[in-house]
Amino acid sequence: MNNTFVKIAWRNILRNKKRSLITISAVGVGLGALIFIWSFAEGAHNQMINNYTSYVIGPVQVQAKGFQKNPKLETFVKDSPAVLNIIRQNPDVAAVSPRIQAEGLMGSSDSSMGTLVIGVQPQLERQVSKLDQRVARGQFLDEGDDNSVIIGKDMADNLGVDLQDKIVFMSQALDGSIASGAYYVKGIIQSGVTEIDKGLAIITYSAAEELFVMDGKPSQIVVQLHSASKSDAVAEQLRQALNNPDLEVLPWKDVSPVLQQWLDYDNTFIWIILIIVMIVVAIGIMNTVLMGVLERTREFGILIALGTRGRQIIQMVTYESVFLGLIGTAAGLIIGLGSSHFFSRTGIDLSVFTEALNSMYMESVIHPDINFKYVWISSGVVLLISIFVSVYPAWTASKLKPVDAIRSI
Amino acid sequence: MALIRVENLSKTYITGKNIETPALRDINLTIDDRDFVALAGTSGSGKTTLLNLLGSLDKPSSGSIFYEQQNIAQLNEQQVADFRLNQVGFIFQAYNLINTLTALENVEYIMLLQGVPAAERLDRSRDILKRVGIEKYINNFPNQMSGGQQQRVAVARAIVARPKVILADEPTANLDSRTAENLLDLMLELNQERQTTFVFSTHDPMVMDKVKRIVKLKDGEIIS
Ligand SMILES: Nc1ncnc2c1ncn2[C@@H]1O[C@H](COP(=O)(O)OP(=O)(O)OP(=O)(O)O)[C@@H](O)[C@H]1O
Ligand SMILES: [Mg+2]
Repeated sequence: MNNTFVKIAWRNILRNKKRSLITISAVGVGLGALIFIWSFAEGAHNQMINNYTSYVIGPVQVQAKGFQKNPKLETFVKDSPAVLNIIRQNPDVAAVSPRIQAEGLMGSSDSSMGTLVIGVQPQLERQVSKLDQRVARGQFLDEGDDNSVIIGKDMADNLGVDLQDKIVFMSQALDGSIASGAYYVKGIIQSGVTEIDKGLAIITYSAAEELFVMDGKPSQIVVQLHSASKSDAVAEQLRQALNNPDLEVLPWKDVSPVLQQWLDYDNTFIWIILIIVMIVVAIGIMNTVLMGVLERTREFGILIALGTRGRQIIQMVTYESVFLGLIGTAAGLIIGLGSSHFFSRTGIDLSVFTEALNSMYMESVIHPDINFKYVWISSGVVLLISIFVSVYPAWTASKLKPVDAIRSI
Repeated sequence: MALIRVENLSKTYITGKNIETPALRDINLTIDDRDFVALAGTSGSGKTTLLNLLGSLDKPSSGSIFYEQQNIAQLNEQQVADFRLNQVGFIFQAYNLINTLTALENVEYIMLLQGVPAAERLDRSRDILKRVGIEKYINNFPNQMSGGQQQRVAVARAIVARPKVILADEPTANLDSRTAENLLDLMLELNQERQTTFVFSTHDPMVMDKVKRIVKLKDGEIIS
């Protein structure tokens, strides 16, 4: 029985090939574009997350509880060798690097300014951040460079110093004594990120241990992952593995929420595009099906006169839009996944816009990244819409009065 | 024996701003089982209106239509669909067929709705299509057949479902006179062979010659 309604619906699609094709194309291109845009955004976002986290903060940090809110020297990670060991056992972890972090005053003979200083182990730090690659002039620290410092370009300008010049740092040590040290500028970082270029100084971990009297007491442990997009999941795993109420395991978005806010904001645009595509799809299918129903008024009249029930008429019309929706969705999946896949290999070169993009942690070549969650959301919504919009035409057809319908040729 | 009894049947169309067009006035009529009746009358006399009411395609303004004991003016929506499916067959002036179904599928359609098993459906459809002389065209779609052939398929579709009565509104009006005569002869034969009641409307003197009985309408009333 159902077969006949399916057959009628299918043949009606074939009967009006041109119109069906236009509808299917509209659905296909709309959905395809949507999937592609989502993959593109996903690729760009992952790139931004990678870049953003690779500057300083890393994908995941382990800190002593309270440090994130109120970073003080006395809030350090206790028993750090054991903690490091546990973290290294997680298979998603690529590298770990402990740091000492403090605030203080950096001065030259000309002037002085407030700064954040971090003590890093040069070998390990190269694996968790790209600070070393941002050195525009001079060199990054090596093991044993305990009298050297890396500073940002703006700080160098403000202090009026250059490579090899001596600058002095002053602060308070953990034991309350005055911490002060003199360092020679070994490298100048130019990252494009104001906080780094203006307010960050990097010394070696051992220099920091001595300066702040923090032997074996890192303020934070930066954890690098094989894939930054897993930061939430790994943070949770580490939290459980460490099982230590004195520690906080923070994914990057908790360490520095700014980027996540920007990404959320960016995603709302994609949702807006989704809604627009849905409206186009809805109007397209509705138009096709409604036109098809209206031009077959007489035929519906005859179907009703022959004893076809209202709900059977509704079935017939609904099948039609479901078919259009299914084919359109299939076309959209092919277009969307195909283009996303193709460009994920070749990359999309946006070098024309690079200037603007760099400041947002983007690179000039974007590799779209297919996130199937969004693929299923888009296709599912398109399919649902195609069924939903058939309600009105189907209902219209089922309510036709056979006498009137048959008279209209 | 009376198959259909029409009692005090009236139908008034209300169009636009309460403009009333009386199309049937107080009709009383009996149609016997196995009858072959023509409704005749000038254009606008009410033939189509009466056929539509007999087939429950429309509701009367007043009066009753009894099929045996059942008053079809009082059926609900479900029952109306059932009645149309099982008790009556329709043949319209033209374009009777479902365009997306072949001749065979068109003939099978009603039996499908009735739930006749597939094998029986196919047998009965093939038989009747052969009987109406369409065996060569059973897999043709309506637009691949002539008007006369389409009307034959429509007759086959109506009769194969074994209704009590077949209602045909000017079934020959779109055909040339030879084709029209052939179609009418076919229906007459089927009326005898299958003992199905036929009620027509027509302007055609040829049709009036062949029917057993003529009911003449004028301005919505029966005049003879
Ligand atoms: N849907 C309608 N709305 C309003 N008036 C109608 C409607 N259908 C028919 N009429 C009117 O009812 C009267 C009877 O019409 P009907 O169609 O039954 O005549 P008919 O005998 O079938 O005519 P014809 O030979 O031209 O087919 C006419 O006056 C017609 O104008
Ligand atoms: Mg008429």
